[in-house]
Amino acid sequence: MSPVIELDNLRVKLGRREILLGISCRLGVSGSGKAIGLLGPNGAGKSTLIQTLMGFHRPVAGHARILGFDCHKQPREVKARVGYMPENEAFIAGMNAVAFIRLMGELSGLPQEVALEKAHETLFHVGLGEARYRPLGTYSLGMKQMAKLAQAIVHGPELVILDEPTNGLDPAARVRMLKLIREMKEQHGMNVVLCSHLLRDVEDVCDEVVIMKAGAIVHQANLEEERRANRRFVELEVTGRDGGLGEALHASGAEGVSEGRWRIVLPPDFELERLWQIVAKEDLHVHKLTHRRDTLEEIFLKAVGHLAHTPGDAAAAEEVTTHGRL
Amino acid sequence: MAVYKRGYQRYQGSLTGRLARLLVLPRFAWQRLMEQRLVIIVMVVSLFWPLACAAFIYVSNHLELLQGMGRDASKLLEINGTFFVIFMNSQATMAMILASIAGPSLVAPDLANGALPLYLSRPLTRTDYVLARMLVLLGLLSPVTWVPGLLLFGMQSGMAGWAWFSTHWSIGVGIFAGFIAWILLVGLVALACSAYVKWRIIAGALVLGFFFILAGAATMTNAVLRVDWGSVLNPARAMDQIWRALLGADPLSGPGAWTCAVSIAVMALFLILVLERKLRPVEVIS
Repeated sequence: MSPVIELDNLRVKLGRREILLGISCRLGVSGSGKAIGLLGPNGAGKSTLIQTLMGFHRPVAGHARILGFDCHKQPREVKARVGYMPENEAFIAGMNAVAFIRLMGELSGLPQEVALEKAHETLFHVGLGEARYRPLGTYSLGMKQMAKLAQAIVHGPELVILDEPTNGLDPAARVRMLKLIREMKEQHGMNVVLCSHLLRDVEDVCDEVVIMKAGAIVHQANLEEERRANRRFVELEVTGRDGGLGEALHASGAEGVSEGRWRIVLPPDFELERLWQIVAKEDLHVHKLTHRRDTLEEIFLKAVGHLAHTPGDAAAAEEVTTHGRL
Repeated sequence: MAVYKRGYQRYQGSLTGRLARLLVLPRFAWQRLMEQRLVIIVMVVSLFWPLACAAFIYVSNHLELLQGMGRDASKLLEINGTFFVIFMNSQATMAMILASIAGPSLVAPDLANGALPLYLSRPLTRTDYVLARMLVLLGLLSPVTWVPGLLLFGMQSGMAGWAWFSTHWSIGVGIFAGFIAWILLVGLVALACSAYVKWRIIAGALVLGFFFILAGAATMTNAVLRVDWGSVLNPARAMDQIWRALLGADPLSGPGAWTCAVSIAVMALFLILVLERKLRPVEVIS
């Protein structure tokens, strides 16, 4: 199985400025129907990377491959397999949605009759069925986003690249967009690259995440694995004299640190009921108990240097230290 | 099953070839152009002169209809290269007007509405895109240029007989080649102007301006510097000189056909350069 995206020391210059500084990574597995999130602050090079993958920019060095095809040397092979939803407003003036999607389908290589059929099918799928004969110029921003998504998937690509797909959407439309993206990967087996500023969107949809900063990849995480590896972090807010809670937790095999609220790492076989018992024994009143793990926001902030470490790291470090002491 | 009940399914069938994909853009564009009333009106008006020329050819081959005019009438009504150069000049003007109306609507809205990334994210290169747009103009301008030109040539050949055709066949070739060169030039001007200003109305005016301003610049250069080479700056006059050479008509005073051809080629290169710089899926500000 080849990777969906393979970057090998990719360097891209726009004008005199080098935007991508020799990026190397392998993302996704072709045909697996997974989503890759592309995150980074403004100016990190996310859009430049996507545009380079689409063959809009010529790299000054290195290679970018999609599904095993070189983006610069084999652009037709790449583009035949990819659907692209640009960030900015993009439509063809004076066309209704059916004609627009049909045109895009035919340009992607669908035969005429199939393209017409797929245009209707896709527009119904994205929720524009009733408005499909309206000129695109009269669409609201949310409808235009959906039309852009429809043109990206009309030809059934193996990979869909979505640049800020939830931009300008109201909460209901955003939920619908994310649902469609999930369906694309889960039901239709498409690989998805999602570039978004909204960490929540990426966390909701993606299985893998790449964080970029200043033209370089600063972090790459498999969210699916992180979700699977339930490290059982618990946050606990109590009232009362909790000086002995740390010792009590330690005695029962758990480790906790108090920073206003308790952050506790539970061992794998630790039942939560036992925690309640410890707290009751210490005569403490529980205000709040939440399970938590490293959120994408914390991973992101750490990766771009706005957070020294994530709570998960702190707990893990504490755990290692404690074990060392033991 | 109805489409709305069936739901979305990924297409898994075979894809069309490169040529079929390339012809998709012209097909959609022609369909939309034919919905524009102004385009239809100009096309119809463009056919008046060919009809008049056809009548002229008919009369010149039936001199018995003009018995009262004497022997000089036959010389006046002679069908030769000069006749076709006059025909070509008038049709070239109509083609220019038509290109100024239709050309900008092909590119400017795409750039203004950000459609270029959509096109170029398909298996379509920038060259394919320009080629497809040129094909639209070729298809649109052909019925008012070389098609009626060759029909008139065929009509004259049919009426005047084999003897006339065997001595004037180069006129037919000249009409075709001359008009194709003109369509390419006009098409490049229309596309480059549209790509440059990205505003349909202004682009249309700029297409006409390109020809009129350069014609003015050519006349001014000749007058101020007291030379005649300034005429090469006038694309219409330069093309006229080339046509005269192709059709064997009397040349105009000033630079010869080869010089004019080089001038036209330089203009075309300049226009291609403008297209290369401006027709980009993403604008890079350096």
